[in-house]
Amino acid sequence: MNNSLRNLFNNAWIEIALRWILGITFIYASYYKILSPTDFAKVVYGYNLFPEVLISLIAIILPFVELISGLSLLLGIYPRSAALIINGLLLAFIFILTINIIRGHEFDCGCFSTKKTGSPKLMVARDVIYLIMGLQVFLFNGVRKGCFIRLDRKI
Amino acid sequence: MQWNKILKETIFLLGISLVSAFTVNFFSPAGIALVGQWDESMDVIAAEAKSNVFSGELEIKHVKIAKQIYDSEKAVFVDARSLENFDDGHIKGAESLPISQFDNLIEAFKKKYPTDTIIVTYCSGRTCDDSHRLEQLLFDNSYVNVSVFIDGYPGWKAEGYPIE
Repeated sequence: MNNSLRNLFNNAWIEIALRWILGITFIYASYYKILSPTDFAKVVYGYNLFPEVLISLIAIILPFVELISGLSLLLGIYPRSAALIINGLLLAFIFILTINIIRGHEFDCGCFSTKKTGSPKLMVARDVIYLIMGLQVFLFNGVRKGCFIRLDRKI
Repeated sequence: MQWNKILKETIFLLGISLVSAFTVNFFSPAGIALVGQWDESMDVIAAEAKSNVFSGELEIKHVKIAKQIYDSEKAVFVDARSLENFDDGHIKGAESLPISQFDNLIEAFKKKYPTDTIIVTYCSGRTCDDSHRLEQLLFDNSYVNVSVFIDGYPGWKAEGYPIE
C-alpha cells in the first residue's frame, strides 16, 4: 500500500464519516424488516437458497444483527467488532446475489406495495462499495473519534 | 490486532442481537412463528403470523374450480395486485382493488357491490398473500361471501382462460 492510500485508510475523519454512513444505512435497512417480518421472510424465501426451517429464523434475527451493529457503529461502541459483523453480512449478501445472478434466478412475487430495490447487479456494486467502507472502519489503527472509549476498553 | 478482544465483543453484539430479536418478535403483534409454510406445492407460502388470519376453508385450490365459479357468472373476481400489474393483464371482467389503496377505494366498491355479493379475490399466485389480506379486509367490511383463488393470475393465464 502506498503512503497516500495508507494515510487515507488511517484518517480519523474519514473513519468516522464512513462509520456513521454505514451505521445509519444499516439501521435504516433494518427498520422496514423489523416492522414487517412477514414480508421480509418472503424476500428471504425468494433467494431460493435456504432450507425451509431457517427462513423465518433468518427473517427474525438478521434485522436485529443489522440494527445492533448499525447502532454500535454510530455510537462508537465496539466499532471494530461491529464493522467485522457488517463486513461478514456484506460478504454474505454479495455471495448470495452473485449466485442468483449466475444461475439467472430472479424472484418477484409482485406483492409488495413498496418500490422495487433495483437490479441485482446494482445491489452487488452497492454492497462492494459498503464493504470497502467497512474494511476502512475495521482496519483503522488510529484513535477513533466520537467513541465511548471507556466502554471500548472494558473487554 | 487483538483478535481475542474482537471475538469477545463480536459475541457480545451478536448475543444482544439474538436476545432483542426473539424478545421483540415475541411481544410484537407483527411477530411471526419460528417456522413458516414455505412449500409451494402445499399451499400459499407465508411466514405464519402468530395471529394467523389465513382461513384455509375459504381457499379455492384448483384452477378448474375457479373457472367453474367464473363461468357461473355469479361471482365477481377482485384483483388485489397493484393497478400497474392489473393494467398489464388480469382475469377478464375482474375488478381492481389493490391492497395498498383499499381505504380509498372501498366506499366506491361498496356502492357498486352489495355486501352479499359472491367475491373471489386473487393476486400473483402462491408466493403472494395479498388476496388473503384482501379477503380479510372485505370480511371486516361486512362482505360475507369471499373466497381466495390461490393460484391467482399466473395460474389462470397458464390454463389459457380469458384475460384482458
